[in-house]
Amino acid sequence: MDWVLLLQRIFDALFNSAIYSSLALALVIVFRSTGMLNFAQGEMATFGGFVGFVLLSGPTQRLKGGGVAGWLPGVPWPVWLAIIGAVVFGMLAGATVERTLIRPFERAPEMALVNVTIGLLIATNALMTQWWGSGARAFPSVFPVGADDHVGILGARLRYSTIGVWAVLIILMVLLLLMMQKTKIGLAFRAISINRSAAELQGVPVGRTLMYGWALAGGMGALAAGLSANSTLLHSNMMLRVLVFAFAAATLADWTVPRVQLWAGSSSVCRKPWCRPTYLSSVSN
Amino acid sequence: MQRAPVTYRRLQWFGICALIALLVYLPLISDARELRNHTKIIITVLAVLGVNIATGYGGMISLGHAVFVGVGAFGTAYFVDDMGLPWVISLVGGAVSAAIFGLLIAVPALRIRGIHLALVTLAFAIVFQPLAKRFPKFSGGISGKSVEAELVAPGIFGEGRLADARWQYVFCIAVCVVAILLVRNVIDSRAGRAMRALRDNQTSAAVYGVNLVRTRIATFALSAGLAGLAGGLQVVLVPFVSQENYPPQASLVLYATAVIGGLGSLWGSVFGVAIRQVFGEVGDVLKRIDDIPVLSELFDLLDSDSFVFGVGLIALMFLVPGGLASIRLGRGDRVGRLAAWVRRRYRAA
Repeated sequence: MDWVLLLQRIFDALFNSAIYSSLALALVIVFRSTGMLNFAQGEMATFGGFVGFVLLSGPTQRLKGGGVAGWLPGVPWPVWLAIIGAVVFGMLAGATVERTLIRPFERAPEMALVNVTIGLLIATNALMTQWWGSGARAFPSVFPVGADDHVGILGARLRYSTIGVWAVLIILMVLLLLMMQKTKIGLAFRAISINRSAAELQGVPVGRTLMYGWALAGGMGALAAGLSANSTLLHSNMMLRVLVFAFAAATLADWTVPRVQLWAGSSSVCRKPWCRPTYLSSVSN
Repeated sequence: MQRAPVTYRRLQWFGICALIALLVYLPLISDARELRNHTKIIITVLAVLGVNIATGYGGMISLGHAVFVGVGAFGTAYFVDDMGLPWVISLVGGAVSAAIFGLLIAVPALRIRGIHLALVTLAFAIVFQPLAKRFPKFSGGISGKSVEAELVAPGIFGEGRLADARWQYVFCIAVCVVAILLVRNVIDSRAGRAMRALRDNQTSAAVYGVNLVRTRIATFALSAGLAGLAGGLQVVLVPFVSQENYPPQASLVLYATAVIGGLGSLWGSVFGVAIRQVFGEVGDVLKRIDDIPVLSELFDLLDSDSFVFGVGLIALMFLVPGGLASIRLGRGDRVGRLAAWVRRRYRAA
């Protein structure tokens, strides 16, 4: 058996698993607080990615959404700043969506919310295709991605970008846990996810907390899109597939425990479609 | 089936007459290509009805019905071309293969419900394209395959492209009408009542002796079969099949059409498809307006009917949660109140 190849495949897939994990985290945050799946999470993330793309390429004629970017000082921005801009946009978008589209259906049947998020998915996807075309676009990476930018471990190559993405994800997890454990918003969030009506009776501001949750999820999605766009290329359908993997990761772990999402994401490594057949064919050789 | 109130039923008859008049009028004014497009729209009703059966009557959210349309198309193409069977048998074969595919997908539906089932069907919708590429014998692989067999018009229709298009139009409408009547009878029958009982309250349905497993699987198979029939008719119209035609978005738009038209109503599916056309036409007209700065940018979006549909789905949830078919003039909901107000003003004048 070719152990080096196996290790290499796992290292390669680790990158994607980090992306799945961050989108899964976004889904779980929303699920825990509202008890619903946000089908539009992936499209919202991709939209954030496109916003980052506009910010870093500046207002050009080619980009339809580029006109707005001209109002911001110093555009085009460097990649890391553009991704931060995308995250801020994602948070605002998440909060807005919660306020305007989700809140009115608080007491409606589950089906209404599913329909709204699917409507949002369809509309956002069409909007992106209309504005930025259906072709894929190159997106620069925050981390060095040259041919030599890797660490050799037992003959396999662990790329710097993979290490970087995981570092970002782990920092994010730590921050999220601190927020959940130490801050008042985190306390309110935990109270709502355990028993919503009891929390409401105790005076927890449910609406505001939910909005923060959506903002957090939106920002996380935009970050996932910004970090993965270099390897997958930026196109309007990039997150639809990731969404299903993220759902799988979240289901595989537990919808109610955010801490486990990280492990779930990494266990989806072996679900990479191209990972298994190639590896197996090398086994049979 | 629930009967409409008398005043409403008159309106219903008017609607049916208008629809029939339109269907008779269409082939007289359009050329072969236009007529083919009209037919394509009409057969979408079947696919939407498929979603409606699963979601509206069976209570199982399906976000993957384009998969069944695709399987139906591939199946029909295979039967009619590779096996040389006559068209009618091939169409039935295509629908049956889609129904069998539906059976397989219905198995998870036995255990999971609600949004989780929606998720599983969405996963199927996403997996379908790469999966279809792996079976080039049926799907023609990446580039698709063309179908040699053609549905040629019989002598009375004359010869040539227009005659063929007219014959295909009549044929497709006949198939649609037969399928819709069959579905109507199924829904009114014992099986249909079991289906709806299951949707409304699973436990009480079981108490009354409804076989949950069988009913749920049969519902899903029926809905998949209808979508498959729509796929088969697509092959009749355009002798070419390819996985390119069945992206996940197609499934989502089918779902949106069913919801917008109205779940749990046969007419809802017709309404949904009709309103989609109206949106498309209005969008076409608005798109030509170029001289208003911000608005024309917005109107450009109307060109992609998925955008209009997504927004329409959200708007509908705010205005008429039950879909267009649930509008009852003069009753409780917002549109009904508006209609009643208009009528009062009209009478006063």
